Parts: sequence; C-alpha cells; structure tokens
Amino acid sequence: MPVNYAKLGPGDEISKRTLILDEESVKRYAEAVADSNIVYDDKGRWMVPPMAIAALSLGGVINDLEIPGGTVHASQELVFPRAVPVGSALGCTAKLIQNSTRGEWRFMVVDIRVTGDGEVMSGKSTIMLPADA
Amino acid sequence: MQTDTALPTVRRTITQEQIVRYAEASGDHNPIHIDEEFAAASQFGGRIAHGMLIAASISEMMTAAFKIDWLNGGTMKLRFRAPVFPGESIETTGVVKSTREVGGRREVTCTVDVRKEDGEAAINGQAVVTTALK
Repeated sequence: MPVNYAKLGPGDEISKRTLILDEESVKRYAEAVADSNIVYDDKGRWMVPPMAIAALSLGGVINDLEIPGGTVHASQELVFPRAVPVGSALGCTAKLIQNSTRGEWRFMVVDIRVTGDGEVMSGKSTIMLPADA
Repeated sequence: MQTDTALPTVRRTITQEQIVRYAEASGDHNPIHIDEEFAAASQFGGRIAHGMLIAASISEMMTAAFKIDWLNGGTMKLRFRAPVFPGESIETTGVVKSTREVGGRREVTCTVDVRKEDGEAAINGQAVVTTALK
C-alpha cells in the first residue's frame, strides 16, 4: 500500500534498520564519492568515512518512506560524535519531526539516529516532495 | 588553526557514472538521479547528482584538514542551493571562521562552500570540529 504522506505526523517512526559498514560497502562508497582519504585510529583500525554512515542511513529512510521520484533534498544537519571502525554493524532509527505543505510542495523533516558503541551519528534531513504525492 | 585559514580545496568533475555508483552504494535510486526520461520531464530538465554525493566533498575536505578529529565529533549544517548536473565540475572550499576553547579543547568553526564552475553555489553551510589545544 503506498505511503499516505499526509497522514504521517511528528514522532512517527518511519525507518528502523541495521547498517553493515563492512569493507566492501565502505570501499564501494569511497569509490563512488572518489574520496581517497583513509583514516586509522590509534589501534590501527580503518575508520569509516562519516558520510558513508549518513549515505547508508539516508538510503534506508528513502526506501522505507517510499519517497517518490522528484523528491528534493533541501538541507542536512549531521553530527558525528565518534569514529566508527570498518566492520561495524550499526542500528539506524528515523522519526518524522515535521510534516507541512506550502504551495505545491510537502516539507518533511526527518530525525535520524545511528548507534553502535553509543550514538555514532545524528542527523536532521529536510526533504521536499510534491504535495500531491 | 587560525581564523581565516583556508582548508584544502577539493575539485571534482561529477559524471553520470559516478552518480549511478553512488545510487548503488547508498541505496538511493530516486529516478531524478538515474532515469534520463524521468529527469528530463522534471523541473531540473535532466538528471542531477545526489545532494549527499556533492556534500561528501565537504567531509573529504574536513577529513584532509583535521584527520580523525573530524570523525570524532564533527558537525555540519548544510543547505542544498542548486543541483549539480553530470559533466559539471565543483570546487569545495572552507575557511576557518572562528576558534574558541571549550572543555580543554579547541572548537574550530568553518564556513564551507561548494560552487559550480559558473560560480553558482551548490551547497553552503558550516562545519565544526574540535581539536587538541596547541
């Protein structure tokens, strides 16, 4: 059944997933964005580029919310409290915090939290989709 | 790092191949990025890069400048201003706007900017990182 975006309200949980940041997925991300930075921690572990966590968590939200084609990403806030070693499995939960329409567009603000050994990412995404979607 | 210090610039040409790879890597297959026919009928008139693909260049710049400190406590607030089309080049820059001592560490606030070759801003915003006091 297609998502009825008008019926979603603040506090609704819209996505809950496990993200696997294994070597393959991190390499795939790094190649896609052409980022050759490699950062190791003091234990010699390869650390995940923080935007890889953001990319995978947002991808999950987009799929779970069945975002219609043509949706536009208007703004993004991100906090990366701690580095994550490659090989980590992380939990991602997304909740809607705002849902409003203005003219032809619906504005939705989504709060995303990613946890591993404590919270490793939080974010707030503002997306615009056609109001009649 | 002192106020007005420039961060290392990142330059890229965004290709459709890269956009497709990003769709695969992230799971975001919005047709606005990958379906030529769909995108041609949209307000953009053609396929556009994911905003987060372009934003990745900001994190790349911050990582190059601040290394693991960026991964341990970095924050960003970004606005996506204009789409980037495949074939367009971007230049990502940052400047230290201010620094202050917080809890025995130095908090460094940077303005960050991604511009297209015609000078139009694709993304702008702010990134904050804390480093050791030196």
